[in-house]
Amino acid sequence: MKAIKGVLLTCDPAVKQLLVNMDEKQHFIIQDLDDNHLLIKADEEDRVRKELDAELERNTYSLDT
Amino acid sequence: MPPAAARGLDAIPHSLLPFLQSQSQNSLTRLYSRPSSCLAIFRLLGPMERQIVMNLLWIDSSVLTSTLDSWIMRDGRKHYEAAIASLARLHIIMNPSSKLTLNSTLKSAFRMAITGDGEHRSFGVPTERGEKRSASVEVLDAYAVERWETILHFMVSSGTGQVPAKPSQGVLYLLQRSGLMATMLGTNMKITSAGFQFLLHSPHEQLWTLLLQYLHMAEERQMDLVEVLSFLLMLSTMELGQDYSTENLSPTQLTMLEDLRDYGLVWQRKPSSRRFNPTRLATTLTSSSPPLPTTSSTGNLTQHAESISDGFIILETNYRLYAYTDNPLQTAVLNLFATLKSRFPNLVVGSITRDSVKKALANGISADQIISYLTAHAHPQMRKNNPLLPVTVQDQIRLWELEKNRLKSQDGYLYTAFASQADYEFVLDYARKLGVVLWENSAKRCFFGTLEGHVNVRGFIERRTGGG
Repeated sequence: MKAIKGVLLTCDPAVKQLLVNMDEKQHFIIQDLDDNHLLIKADEEDRVRKELDAELERNTYSLDT
Repeated sequence: MPPAAARGLDAIPHSLLPFLQSQSQNSLTRLYSRPSSCLAIFRLLGPMERQIVMNLLWIDSSVLTSTLDSWIMRDGRKHYEAAIASLARLHIIMNPSSKLTLNSTLKSAFRMAITGDGEHRSFGVPTERGEKRSASVEVLDAYAVERWETILHFMVSSGTGQVPAKPSQGVLYLLQRSGLMATMLGTNMKITSAGFQFLLHSPHEQLWTLLLQYLHMAEERQMDLVEVLSFLLMLSTMELGQDYSTENLSPTQLTMLEDLRDYGLVWQRKPSSRRFNPTRLATTLTSSSPPLPTTSSTGNLTQHAESISDGFIILETNYRLYAYTDNPLQTAVLNLFATLKSRFPNLVVGSITRDSVKKALANGISADQIISYLTAHAHPQMRKNNPLLPVTVQDQIRLWELEKNRLKSQDGYLYTAFASQADYEFVLDYARKLGVVLWENSAKRCFFGTLEGHVNVRGFIERRTGGG
């Protein structure tokens, strides 16, 4: 049996899919666990969070009055 | 917080009470020997506690607990017992199990306070007015407001590039020790997340937060805690506009005068002066009147019911904010979570946007605090709306807060590739008992455990494979 060190990410399915797409450019996912969980490398966590925030910002629009 | 609860039996006790409850019986008894302290502390107690103290005050012998118990109806039981427990922790009531007596020092001192007896001078030694250059109420109020707002303004504008007037060294030290500001890069102080939350509290709460920190620091500075506390409580019973002499104060208390001048609690004509005047900040320490004069641009100081005069914000359903104020501090606080668009002599116009709320959330302010600040300072005209703030805006602020938390992460180890189902279940069971399982999937035969639990789980597996 194996013990793999990493970070467990818990999120909704939409965010998980975004992360899977991001993974194709730069790999950080160790294993895809289920619809709501991912296992990623520990040192990649900060970078992943920043990129995810940037990606989500791209999809939000606010009305400037 | 609904107004009924504010004065009701479920009210949050005053923040000084837990501090008092942590002191020893000796210190508290010394504190209770001064009538002004007894009166001030009495005013901080809740209604049930006050009832109990008042009923026991004029009885010389002790009362059987069962007598007082019989006064309580069944639904009030819980409050009654909580009140008795609280009074016992304050050492106001001794030995509550069978007989109820008041602390005898407290009893005599409090009786003196109420009947105006005794030569104790614990309510301060008033001096003759009519000396020139003595301060009027307007001067005191202006001084208190200026000192207090300097402190708050310094906190708000740190980190925004503006350089406001700095409060004194002692104040800066106090702010740092209470965790409201932190020094980084040498001498510059920046406000912390706790500091942001502090700014959204009411002036009364802010004042007591700083004073509690001051009390905590008193022992390190070798100041007698009882003297410090009794001076503060004496100030809270003094009259606004009356001069008091310093002749009755101990050396500790004379040192305190300097610090209190910096916070805007007392005013002295010059540092060596032998008289001082308490400001409104000091005289309202234990009362529910507003601690700062109700400011309006003309400096009108008439006392309205506090809630009506404090409100100045109008919030519309289109997220627009209209704040009828010219006070730079209130404007700066609004700037923390709203985007300000224009300023007029008596009005500030802005709106609550996603960016401004995100900026506030990043600074450590929570959505609930923003909403309660807006509720507390809502213009009287907003009372026509039910609920007070538009539901759409409230919900949206909370949703923006939830957006921050879409992704949760936890460090740990994934245990996988088990030889058999039985193996997997055995280890999983052990990990569950330790409480370290964060996620499991029996179809894939793997589970995720915490970082802290890894050592134990690994040890368990090694013992199993080694021995089995």
